[in-house]
Amino acid sequence: MSYIAGIDIGNSTTEACVGEVTPDGKLTFLTSASCPTTGTKGTLENVHSVKNALKLAMARIGRETSDIDLIRLNEAAPVIGDTAMETLTETVITDSSMIGHNPSTPAGAGQAVGEVLLIERISRAVPGTDYILAASADHSYEEVAAVVNQYTEGEGALHIVGIILQADEAVLVENRIHTKVPIIDEVRRIDRLPDGVPAAIEVALPGQTIRMLSNPYGIATLLGLTAEETRTVTPIAKSLIGKRSAVVLKTPGGNVHENVLPAGEIYFHGDREITISLDEGAEKIMTAESEAGEIRDISGQPDTNVGNMLVRIRKGMGELDRTDQADIRITDILAVDTLAPVLISGALAGETCLEKAVGIAAMVKTQKLPMQEIAQRLGSELGTEVKVAGVEAVMASLGALTTPGTKLPLAILDMGGGSTDAAVVSEEGQVTLTHQAGAGELVSMLIETELGLGDRHIAEQIKKYPLAKVESLFHMRMENGQMTFVDESIDPRFFGRVVLLTENGLIRIEQEIPMEKIVQVRREAKRKVFVTNAFRALAKVAPDHNLRNISTVVLVGGSAEDFEIPEMLMEEFADYRIVCGRGNIRGSEGPRNAVATGLVLSYLGERS
Amino acid sequence: MAMVVKRPSIFIYTHEADPAVLKEVCAGIEEEGVFYDIAEMPDECMLKLAYKAARDSMLGSGIGIFGTATCLKMRGLEKGKNIESYLHPDKRQCRNVGANSARAIKKLPFKEEYGI
Repeated sequence: MSYIAGIDIGNSTTEACVGEVTPDGKLTFLTSASCPTTGTKGTLENVHSVKNALKLAMARIGRETSDIDLIRLNEAAPVIGDTAMETLTETVITDSSMIGHNPSTPAGAGQAVGEVLLIERISRAVPGTDYILAASADHSYEEVAAVVNQYTEGEGALHIVGIILQADEAVLVENRIHTKVPIIDEVRRIDRLPDGVPAAIEVALPGQTIRMLSNPYGIATLLGLTAEETRTVTPIAKSLIGKRSAVVLKTPGGNVHENVLPAGEIYFHGDREITISLDEGAEKIMTAESEAGEIRDISGQPDTNVGNMLVRIRKGMGELDRTDQADIRITDILAVDTLAPVLISGALAGETCLEKAVGIAAMVKTQKLPMQEIAQRLGSELGTEVKVAGVEAVMASLGALTTPGTKLPLAILDMGGGSTDAAVVSEEGQVTLTHQAGAGELVSMLIETELGLGDRHIAEQIKKYPLAKVESLFHMRMENGQMTFVDESIDPRFFGRVVLLTENGLIRIEQEIPMEKIVQVRREAKRKVFVTNAFRALAKVAPDHNLRNISTVVLVGGSAEDFEIPEMLMEEFADYRIVCGRGNIRGSEGPRNAVATGLVLSYLGERS
Repeated sequence: MAMVVKRPSIFIYTHEADPAVLKEVCAGIEEEGVFYDIAEMPDECMLKLAYKAARDSMLGSGIGIFGTATCLKMRGLEKGKNIESYLHPDKRQCRNVGANSARAIKKLPFKEEYGI
């Protein structure tokens, strides 16, 4: 009787599975576990996560790692996924000239044009000119209202047509002034407002967004711009779309332009040599890639963003494999169009502008990963026999076959963190396989950039968990519209916020992004990556490259655990009459642990 | 004491409230555009005042101010739980309590820091 462990080191997760084999060759699965991979896949740093996974698994059956007789390590496919994002356009404001934001309570409605008048300098103002009064938070709402009332009434009255406040006091001021004007508040960088320049302000009606300042001709009308000047304010108008209030200044040297960044070209070296510029967009890049046929390598134009990115990825892989550098090749990329909210340089209130961008996942291939070294290190550290056994895809297929209701021939789609792999196993047990760039990590990156989160960790949480909006202290509305009521009041920190429903309770999303928007971005990111890749991968391994020659697809890997990706794929595959579903390894493990299970199973085959 | 309810409003129950605190709390509510009513009560505890204010307010949002001690409560919250409370709130915190009592009704996230 002996304990056999199978270990699968993946790009992001390391999995362990332990089985007991009796002398007469009977195998019983005992336990399994998974933990995050330490270091890049295929490096000695992986040893930590392997030991950790084994410890976790053995602890579940009250045993020690030292009880294991044999550890079988996957012959990890020498492919590593990496992702990068490149913006294609950039908006630059050379002189501060706009404020567009969504204060929760602006006051008044409509638009006004006038000369900026700082409240400290009100004595310089003369009757007959339209003014927009600006007051910093040093001036209380009572003071501002009193000043406005004093100067706009009686003999020599000033004409104040609008007010800009730094403090959140627009309604307070409005309630105290006698002539109603549009008021914008919560303008943080009011100190940057220049005195004396012409400005236009607009506050939208309740429930609406601004109309004049989000329209180039509207700005031109209000500020009296020429055709040439109107062209230069177009990016301002664009970035103000959807705002509830805005200020646009006409500064003499003010200039805004949209630059198209030299993104560089990608070279596909395949059956055909194809060159494509990154700014052609994802679709054209992917078409070019498929036209290139069997790809030997992909490179980028030197000294451009994409060129540097591909060099960086290649270099990362070069550190793993110290054999000849020339053996490292980028064999696949997945390009995805995206929009990234980028901080406009020179803006007054931290405004962002949606810039066009392309997200890229690349797949790097080398001859062989130094798995043998990992095995040796592991063996000496644990005092256990460690063997590198079996090709990853074959092991995954073997594991996937333990899903109830499957039989050969069978296709598996292994959706992990770094890559999407597909394998077709024929009735005779022959395996055809492919590795595609782009999986869970690219999805996280897309979510992070499109929502402007600036934090990969929360992007990953958004990917993993469904959302809800806490509508009262006693109930929340799930993203599918369902209401959930709770017995004990929800922590006020979550009140009115969008939260993630995790197994460990609620996680609050700090950014004020509507739930619907997050859902849409999340689903779109998953669709762009996984649906595209599932079709690409399966078409590569399908007999005659025809999807109709595949009858069953088992989804395995970390991303198959996702709460919506498998359903998305099932819907897409329904048209091809393919039976497709989330694997359930050994009838109990769900889509995870396929490779580790396969490694334990294959031990039986080797014994006999 | 019985209040004549004319319109949906946030109730502020006070007991010898500090005028500066009360003024800023009211400004916070006003900026959010919600009505409020103030009543002097005999209770000498901000928690009790807030509890009764929330209970009596048609909107279910109430503030108790005893001296400078200020507490925001919503109807239905368990005993001993409140949205926020301060013994000696500064100007910002007073504004926040007012704004949050209104945001509770509007179902908007609470302000945690009164930023400018």
